[in-house]
Amino acid sequence: MGQWADGAARIGRFAAALRSTSPRRGGTRRAVPLAWRNMLSDRRRLLRSISGIAFAALLMMLQIGFRNAFIDSALQVLYNIDGDILITSSTKFRFAAKDPFARRQLYAAHAVDGVAWARPIYGEWNLAIWKNPQTRKTYSTQVLAFDPDQPVFLFPEVRDHLEQLRQPDTALSDRKARRSYGFADAGTVTELTRREIRIIGNFALGPDFTADGTVITSDRTFLKFFAPRPLAAGELADIEFGVVKVRPGYAIETVQQALKQALPANIAVRTKAEWLALETDFQNTVSPVGPIFMLGTAIGFIVGMMISYQVLYTDLSDQLPQYATLKAMGYENTYLVRAVLEQASFYALAGFLPGLAVAVGLAHVLADVTLLPLRMSFETVATTFALTLGMCLFAAALAMRRVLAADPADVF
Amino acid sequence: MTDLGTHEPRTTVRVDNVNYFFGEGESRNQVLFDNCIEIEAGQLVVMTGPSGSGKTTLLTLIGALRSVQSGRIEILDHSLSGLRRAELIAMRRNIGFIFQMHNLFDSLSALENVKMAMQLGGCPASEMRRRGTEILERLGLGHRIDHKPRALSGGQRQRVAVARALVNRPKLVLADEPTAALDKDSSRIVVNLLKELTTQEGCTVMMVTHDNRILELADRIVNMVDGTITSDVVLRDALMICEFLRTVELFKHLTPTELTNVAEKMKRQRYGQDEIIIREGEPGEAFYLISHGSVDVRRRGTDAEERRVATLGAGNFFGERALIVNEPRNASCVAASERVEVFALDKASFKHALETSASFKEQIQTIYFQRQ
Repeated sequence: MGQWADGAARIGRFAAALRSTSPRRGGTRRAVPLAWRNMLSDRRRLLRSISGIAFAALLMMLQIGFRNAFIDSALQVLYNIDGDILITSSTKFRFAAKDPFARRQLYAAHAVDGVAWARPIYGEWNLAIWKNPQTRKTYSTQVLAFDPDQPVFLFPEVRDHLEQLRQPDTALSDRKARRSYGFADAGTVTELTRREIRIIGNFALGPDFTADGTVITSDRTFLKFFAPRPLAAGELADIEFGVVKVRPGYAIETVQQALKQALPANIAVRTKAEWLALETDFQNTVSPVGPIFMLGTAIGFIVGMMISYQVLYTDLSDQLPQYATLKAMGYENTYLVRAVLEQASFYALAGFLPGLAVAVGLAHVLADVTLLPLRMSFETVATTFALTLGMCLFAAALAMRRVLAADPADVF
Repeated sequence: MTDLGTHEPRTTVRVDNVNYFFGEGESRNQVLFDNCIEIEAGQLVVMTGPSGSGKTTLLTLIGALRSVQSGRIEILDHSLSGLRRAELIAMRRNIGFIFQMHNLFDSLSALENVKMAMQLGGCPASEMRRRGTEILERLGLGHRIDHKPRALSGGQRQRVAVARALVNRPKLVLADEPTAALDKDSSRIVVNLLKELTTQEGCTVMMVTHDNRILELADRIVNMVDGTITSDVVLRDALMICEFLRTVELFKHLTPTELTNVAEKMKRQRYGQDEIIIREGEPGEAFYLISHGSVDVRRRGTDAEERRVATLGAGNFFGERALIVNEPRNASCVAASERVEVFALDKASFKHALETSASFKEQIQTIYFQRQ
């Protein structure tokens, strides 16, 4: 709500700025809303135009919404880690890329001034196979693990089941995982990487672009299932993340710098915010998510621009003698440009609103189907409106060339 | 000779040696050739001529819709030569344009179409509805002000276009076949309004038309052929000159056609009291017919003192002798009243008339030798 209220205030300021430019245009007082009247003059054409622009807006909004949802889904697990700084291998480029490092580095981190605690997270993405308890079909999954004596996750269900997790071969499963995972509530026994495992409860995370579901276990169960070989006495297993909590009164950045100095160069020390940015950047630029949905958005933009261009070009061509007459009367090109751009803006708004209404409804349905956090956030809506407006204005700029070239002498 | 300019009434349009070309390079084609015309305020000028004769091109030049290439055009005391595009656009706001096609926005009501012109004219927003309604009512459209063009007949649409052109009370109106699409009644309403503008508000109307109903009301008919003004007749003056000429012994035997031809060539000139119209001893350049006021004829005596030998009034003429015998003026003629108006026939036109009409020549010579 706060995001929308802030957005509404921004729109209000934009509208006020727009109004302040309205009373006069090119020195000509405006008593006739020409652009508005032109848009409404042919109701059938208006309906066709609105439908086309609404379709383009809907397409762009869903593409942007899906993109944001996929990125959000990839960030959910990071949001649910209870730490200020994450220590990883320096070559680890995203959360779900297996790239472990030696646990002993955590002890070095412990010794750094300002560190309250440093705890491990184990992870497996390549070897983990989950068997649907109902269909007995197998699927790859994401497995995360931690020491129940050193909790690191913020999921309330995980914190409630620490005691039970200490029992061997137990796990918590993701109740928002894809339906193909099957239903696995407390007491369900199924297989994880061809070993029997008992589900002691569920937490809510949801799938992302790479994982259809997640399983959380204790470190002992994890190492039993995924360690490449049995550990010798006193041997420490490699870990994926070192989660660092900063003591109250210490600046995160200061502690981060101290950790960087204390740890070797093959260890990366990033704040949680930096990890969120890194993951977002990866999804946007490296993973197929960014390009796929950017392409979808671009197609929506181009389709919408072609529709808008066709609408405006036909409209302006039909009224070419009228515009030439305005020039003969003494209207300047700036007036005509503004009138056409204004008309394009009205088309954008008129097409965007029904597109938004359909997108909100569709997002609701699709979020249920895909289990992605698909929602029409203010950012998504504002971005789509800016693109819709830009698409119509760009089309108008192309279409108005004929009007600008119209020779008033030809009217005679 | 006195500078004519200082004696003419206020000139709305002055076209001076205007040429115009379409195209460039080898395809450059001249469509106007050395055209000159001056139009006074308050005249309804009808431009006629065959299609492609250059009427519309000249009208678009006067309307600042094209840039002047060669020559000079002044409208409402402003030169259009060398104006930048923005200045040309600003100049157009002083002109009312009526086109053959109404070119109204279908999306706007009749009143809103008229308001489009008022927006440019600096009319206060509070005044727009009243003024727009007023002129639409004058054009018989008071009950249609909120109708869109699609709901109006062709004649009604054209009347809305006329209202749009006239609502800012322009001092110059340029019209291209404004009554072509109108029925008899609509045409009469429009033409009467245009005529009213010229007589009551001193507006100048230049109109391309072939509508005989308008020709009857025209003050002046300008005919163009092949890019050149071939005749320029001020009808009121021509009529008056013919009436005068009929009473003059010298011209009374001319046929009506010959009289009209002479009248068409005569130009109005005005003089203030004591201004010299012709001076004794100077070569003769024109023949004069007095239409208003009185003129003293003065001759130098042997003592070189100039004495008045006669006073001529309206209907009298002077200046013919020097043209016929090809000798210097034998007397001076000076305006004797506060406002003297004469019609002058230049030497070439006088001689042309003389040569083309045997009876005219015979009459003049007879009269002249009788005087001797």
